[in-house]
Amino acid sequence: MADEEDALSSNPNEAPNHSEESRQRKHAALLERLANRHQTRLENSLTRRSADSDSSSSSPSFESTSSFLSRFADSKRSIESRIAQCRLTPTSESTQLKSNLDSISASISDLEKLVAENSYFLPSYEVRSLLKAISDLKQSLESLSSELVPKKKFIFKNKAAKKEKAPIFDSMKEKEPETDKPAKVGFTVPESPGFRNKTGEVLVREFKGSEIGEFTISDLDSCEVRLIGCVRALFAHRLRNCRIFGGPVSASILIEGAEDCVFVIASHQIRIHHVKASDFYLRVRSRPIIEDTTNVRFAPYCLSYEGIDEDLKSAGLNEETGNWAHVDDFGWLRAVQSPNWSILPENDRIGLIKISDPNKGAEKI
Amino acid sequence: MGLLSIIRKIKKKEKEMRILMVGLDNSGKTTIVLKINGEDTSVISPTLGFNIKTITYQKKKKTKPHIPFIGDKQFFNAVVNLMAVDSSDLRRLDDCKMELDNLLKEERLSGASLLILANKQDIKGALSPKEIAKVLNLEAMDKTRVTRHWRIVGCSAYTGEGLLEGFDWFVQDIASRIYVLD
Repeated sequence: MADEEDALSSNPNEAPNHSEESRQRKHAALLERLANRHQTRLENSLTRRSADSDSSSSSPSFESTSSFLSRFADSKRSIESRIAQCRLTPTSESTQLKSNLDSISASISDLEKLVAENSYFLPSYEVRSLLKAISDLKQSLESLSSELVPKKKFIFKNKAAKKEKAPIFDSMKEKEPETDKPAKVGFTVPESPGFRNKTGEVLVREFKGSEIGEFTISDLDSCEVRLIGCVRALFAHRLRNCRIFGGPVSASILIEGAEDCVFVIASHQIRIHHVKASDFYLRVRSRPIIEDTTNVRFAPYCLSYEGIDEDLKSAGLNEETGNWAHVDDFGWLRAVQSPNWSILPENDRIGLIKISDPNKGAEKI
Repeated sequence: MGLLSIIRKIKKKEKEMRILMVGLDNSGKTTIVLKINGEDTSVISPTLGFNIKTITYQKKKKTKPHIPFIGDKQFFNAVVNLMAVDSSDLRRLDDCKMELDNLLKEERLSGASLLILANKQDIKGALSPKEIAKVLNLEAMDKTRVTRHWRIVGCSAYTGEGLLEGFDWFVQDIASRIYVLD
């Protein structure tokens, strides 16, 4: 005991105890780490300060909104003029161009940092507008660089170094044409199967045996749509005066924008957005929801076609859950009944709809 | 030395991370959360507001605020953002991109890693994670000065495929970034 105390107080280097020695080592390492960190912090702050004093003579803290704003405007103007200059005098030297662009981007980030550092005293509106200005600058720089820098299609080496974080996408980046505007990538998504832009037609689709996962119906006017069979997902947008008869959908149905329509559909989940004056005949495993929807009425599912029972079973919808009457209105959070929807009175309901032969019309029984 | 051991103990307790999960409606956020928690996913109704769940992952505990609408400004200081994308809803991918851009601008989430779950890969006709990365212009994120750890993973909350892969990634990522102190 006395030994240890002695060692601690007088001469730690000659501590006889083994564990004491390792502790000392750890302590020294810790001190060194701390010192290192302090050093880097110091350096960082030094470089930051020198960068600030380079770009302007005033000190980095302003504490006054107007002076800061004028300083910001100056920097913004200078960056804009540099961008314009780059655009006007295109240099053929790619390295020089690149360094130009890099320095512009660096000064934009400096500006951003400056705003961030001084945001504590700026009014929030100013901060927002400054950030907007910065993002505009970035946008124009990006469009400039995409204009000036030629396609980098076949440079593999520096990409591998740069993309450490997401190595899975190395191959993609090469494919992507860099001349496209970065804000709107010119990548067209393939269209999913569906009915689009039709007026006054009877549209029939039989899914049996087909490998369709999702189906879209959009921009239809005065049409009748009959979907026989089972799909995974159904999307319906911008329908007017349509009648939609659909077999079971095993995942979800998303309806956005419909007016004066009749839907006879069954699904796991149904979401109804922006719909006016429509009737829904549903079978749904969870509670259907409506949002921004007015004057819609609900009733139970009433569709039949040959083999619907098997389809309902395979989609897990063979049981009537009664959820067609438990509608959640996300725009009406009070406990009382939402005025936006109601249950369709029984004598107003359409009878059992039977869709069978695509050539014949839907017939009431 | 007493203080050090106390600090160590606290650090051990601290291996909890907050995860914020966002995405457009109908992208399968609730289903993903329930699936990964091993709960029943067959009767999920659309969520209004948000859910908070705690998940234990290989002896590590996590709290999981889960917010269905990105419009809500109820952000937590999360270390990971999950963004669920409905890979089959091609029409609204643009909305998705817009919301992602807004999310990335959020200051309080600036240091967080980002995992994008390209959900509904089981549906025929869904876009692959690569295509989604292209549409969302994820590479642009690397060009900005603020480096952010991100990754996109294809998954299906319906079958559970790919979910663990995504979760493994961010747990490793966070572990290497934050819990480096031994």
